[in-house]
Amino acid sequence: MHDGSGLIAVQNLTKQFGPVTAVQNLSFTVSPGSVTGFLGPNGAGKTTTLRMLLGLVKPTSGTATINGRPFHQLGQPGRVVGAVLEAQGFHPARSARDHLRVYAAAIGVPDAQADQVLGLVGLGSAADRKVGGFSLGMKQRLALATALLGDPQVLVLDEPANGLDPEGIAWLRTFLQSYARMGRTVLISSHLLAEVEQTVDQVVIISRGQTMFYGPLEQLRQSQQRRVLVQPSDINALATALRAEGVQAIEQLPDGRLAVSGVDSRQVADSALKAGVSIYGIQEEQVDLERLFFQLTSGQYAGYAPAQTPYKQQGGWA
Amino acid sequence: MGNLVQAELRKTTTTGLWWGLLIPTAVLALGWGLATGLLGQFFVDFASTSDVDEVSDFLGVTPDQWKVSLFGMARAINISTIFPMVFGALAISGEINRRTITTTFLTAPSRMHALLAKMLVYVLWGAIYGLAIMLFLGIGVVITSDSGQLPDAGGWAMLTLACVLSSVLMTMFGVGIGALIPNVAGTVVLLLLYFLVIENVLHLVLAYLEVPSIIGFLPNGSINGLTGSVAVDLFLSTAGVVPPEVEDVLRAIAGAGGALDWWWSGLVFLGWSGIVFAGGWAVTQSKDIT
Repeated sequence: MHDGSGLIAVQNLTKQFGPVTAVQNLSFTVSPGSVTGFLGPNGAGKTTTLRMLLGLVKPTSGTATINGRPFHQLGQPGRVVGAVLEAQGFHPARSARDHLRVYAAAIGVPDAQADQVLGLVGLGSAADRKVGGFSLGMKQRLALATALLGDPQVLVLDEPANGLDPEGIAWLRTFLQSYARMGRTVLISSHLLAEVEQTVDQVVIISRGQTMFYGPLEQLRQSQQRRVLVQPSDINALATALRAEGVQAIEQLPDGRLAVSGVDSRQVADSALKAGVSIYGIQEEQVDLERLFFQLTSGQYAGYAPAQTPYKQQGGWA
Repeated sequence: MGNLVQAELRKTTTTGLWWGLLIPTAVLALGWGLATGLLGQFFVDFASTSDVDEVSDFLGVTPDQWKVSLFGMARAINISTIFPMVFGALAISGEINRRTITTTFLTAPSRMHALLAKMLVYVLWGAIYGLAIMLFLGIGVVITSDSGQLPDAGGWAMLTLACVLSSVLMTMFGVGIGALIPNVAGTVVLLLLYFLVIENVLHLVLAYLEVPSIIGFLPNGSINGLTGSVAVDLFLSTAGVVPPEVEDVLRAIAGAGGALDWWWSGLVFLGWSGIVFAGGWAVTQSKDIT
């Protein structure tokens, strides 16, 4: 059977739906003990990838394994991996408790587990209500409860924050982090980096079915050098002074400021003082992950901006 | 496997579909049973007051001893088992429609396990529907028939067996079609059209072409043959020697024109159920659940 490693491995995964290539030669691994974000714009192939991992969609080529095995070789899959794929897989006339008891029987866990996971996701008081009357957020919670029934080692969630209110998102964040801290594997997809930025430790970013970045979130942050934006009284004098100190990455911005990479603001200020240049404004640019994310994933299904605004934009972009 | 069977059983008992379909089934069986008795009585009265001595001679019994209720009961079973078939048809197509199939497959060792567990549970439901049909049909017939037209204890047992078998087989056929055509409306419409219209027209055409023996090998022809042949056998067992032409007429009345023996008919229909289930399994096995 499976090796119990909690490792998710996706290798050269490709899926073609007729003429459409949904996923192209995708490779990444997800380790236990951390929350991994699976990011990409809508239509990038996230859901298809997760469904291939869970044996619901057959890959055109490549492999996707959990604990070293394809899904259909896991034996009792419900006890190895729990998944939240959509908040739609419910019979509207079935109560939340009955829904969970159906799948508790399938997985082979006691019925008491149904009430336990209901309490865990905060639906204890809605146990006897029919799912048809649930809000989207409640359905998301019930989907998560279903995934947790078998106390799985691996948790896979597709856009779990959809429909959750801010309080629900905060709760989910804490829950997933503590779940990972127990040494389990959590893979969570989203089309918004900001939504999961505070939750995930690792990221896999895909676009057009291909991997764009794969590694720790921290590494992604560092991949963009910090810049200092400075507005000196004399641009040329400051640039010359900085170059004399060996700083080469200097760029003049359209708004008349200098962008200096690879240094901190203190060094720029010191250089300016030495060169006798006044500084009217200085700031360290924050690493904008969202912008990075856009750069990595831009292009697919990109719309055009509305017609150029007739007036000149006031102020700079920073 | 036991776990999955229990899960599938819970799926059927935690929604109202089973009784939602059982009510019309029971009403139909009861109504058909009542009508059977009334029509039988009318026929026997008519036969007794007319010059039908020849027929009496053929059958070797007086009209008031003809077990005419058997024919109506065979027809009633044929019609009523449409409901368990529809119930079976919704087993898989309903799950695909409601997208619960995703979780079903995520919690089963394999799709084959899930489908087999479902089939086992629906065989049980088919039997329950079959018993309910026989119960209500029996009540209806007994209320409106003279005791002379009713089968004896052995006959009742045989009819019950045929009814339960027929219902189980129809349910299995429905499950297979529901897997083959994973669309609720499409499946139900196709099954109703086929069993109520298309194949009946086909029977007329085959009879006209003078090849009625093919009918017994068609789905509806064979499942009708199961109950119809049992009814005719029971009728004839009390009727002495009957010329083949009369037997053919009796079979047609029982809805089993051109059909084989009851157990052959059952096997033929089991074959049909097996074919559609295998097809449904093949479709489900390779299907991308997106």
